[in-house]
Amino acid sequence: MGFDVNRFQGDVDEELVCPICSGVLEDPVQDIAIHPTGNNLYTLVYCYEIVAAYEDLQVSNVLQAPVCEHAFCRSCINEWINRQPTCPLDRTPITSAQLRAVPRILRNLLARLCINCDNIVYGCNAIVKLDSLTSHLEQCEYNPKRPMLCEQGCSLIIPKNELKDHNCVRELRNLIQSQQQKLADMKRELGEQQLQINEHKREIHLLKDFMRALRVSNPAMRAIADQMERDEVVRWSATLPRARVTRWGGMISTPDELLQTMIKRTLSEYNCPPHVIDELMENCHERKWPPGLNSLETRQNSRRQYDNYVCKRVPGKQAVLVLHCDNTHMPEDMMVEPGLVMIFAHGIE
Amino acid sequence: MANIAAQRIKREFKEVIKSEEIAKCAIKVELVNDSLTELKGEIAGPPDTPYEGGNFVLEIKVPETYPFNPPKVRFITKIWHPNISSVTGAICLDILKDQWQAAAMTLRTVLLSLQALLSAAEPDDPQDAVVAKQYKEHPEMFRQTATHWTFVYAGGPAKMPDLDDKIRRLTDMGIEEHNARVALSSYNWDLERATEHCLFS
Repeated sequence: MGFDVNRFQGDVDEELVCPICSGVLEDPVQDIAIHPTGNNLYTLVYCYEIVAAYEDLQVSNVLQAPVCEHAFCRSCINEWINRQPTCPLDRTPITSAQLRAVPRILRNLLARLCINCDNIVYGCNAIVKLDSLTSHLEQCEYNPKRPMLCEQGCSLIIPKNELKDHNCVRELRNLIQSQQQKLADMKRELGEQQLQINEHKREIHLLKDFMRALRVSNPAMRAIADQMERDEVVRWSATLPRARVTRWGGMISTPDELLQTMIKRTLSEYNCPPHVIDELMENCHERKWPPGLNSLETRQNSRRQYDNYVCKRVPGKQAVLVLHCDNTHMPEDMMVEPGLVMIFAHGIE
Repeated sequence: MANIAAQRIKREFKEVIKSEEIAKCAIKVELVNDSLTELKGEIAGPPDTPYEGGNFVLEIKVPETYPFNPPKVRFITKIWHPNISSVTGAICLDILKDQWQAAAMTLRTVLLSLQALLSAAEPDDPQDAVVAKQYKEHPEMFRQTATHWTFVYAGGPAKMPDLDDKIRRLTDMGIEEHNARVALSSYNWDLERATEHCLFS
């Protein structure tokens, strides 16, 4: 329902009045804060007609064909359409889906109107532009329900008219009680989740045992499973960005436990297939590297081949993945299954 | 009363007060109580009709759901018209029923529509079947009856001595005047049949 015309300064143009409620047009679409009367700014909607002849055209075109363009408060027109799907001025058939926001010019004209404050009965004599009414009401000193900070120590925010009867201890006790209740609920939920997780773990374990047995007893199954695992690595590799190593000299050939754990966690976070993660992490240390890399001496010999590696980024870390599936072109003494992890001190882009 | 209904009625009330028609004494509206849920309307009988010169009082009840539902209107003044019940004053007019339009109609347009209804009856969509039948089959009789009713109940100017005589004949027999008028009007002023109706039915 729109604003009472008498609340405005001077005359309000008839075009800005809702013909249903005869108040100044009001819209809850931009409902930011509901003020004490439950009123919201700008509920204007248009009614459009779908012209029968347009029906074969795209729906988007049809909706662009406004026929009567009458403006109403949103709540008013919706209330009417619920009773009768026609324009209440000229009986053009309309549905609520055909209602559109009114053009900016009309919104601007409305925003410019000057209205008195809702709290005039409490003594507020402010006169504000319609578009700033909501923000005024939030701060209006005369608003009996204005949110106030309790200064007696509890720091709760309470409506002004309840401040008189406000008791910090009682309010805080209620708060604690509700929090405790919430905590207890959450604990119970956590216990249930834990139970479910354990159950799932047991099932997964069983399933894995079963698959292993299947693979051992049936060579065809083994081939399929291997292929699937390989495909999974290829797919995963495709999701990682390419990396460029600017300084191969920054390579750490003997990373410590801490570094290894960090890299492993990152791989896991970025969806590394679980069946290769342990093997990959084994291959981050020179003792597991192929003959062409496993000592300082051999590395110096094969140095010029480094740039032939297709490297994938370990996101956010100074490390690269050299996957076997991406590097089938490399000689055997430079590559191992399923791939290498190279950790650097610096020099990764 | 809902805010929206009160806001509308206040505005419509002002609209009637400020209208040209009130200046010409053609329509009038008054408050009955402070709550705006009930109003008293008045329309003048339109010229060149049997209702000319009469003033017809209406009861207007504003529902809680106004303006989404039409106001409930009936004639308080007794009237002889095909679309208005001669017994209850109930009105058969589409805009007061399913053709009501929340945004386009107001107290003023309702009153003007009722005035228009007095000028142009719709005998094919009657509220009072007896009146409608007379309207179609004996138009002159209808005109005289309606004029007579306007004179008696709405302060119309045209006295119909012939008809008054017939009514007196019945009242002399101890029949109440209004009942006598209704009976005679319903039987096309056939004294014999009206008497029979009043005495034996």
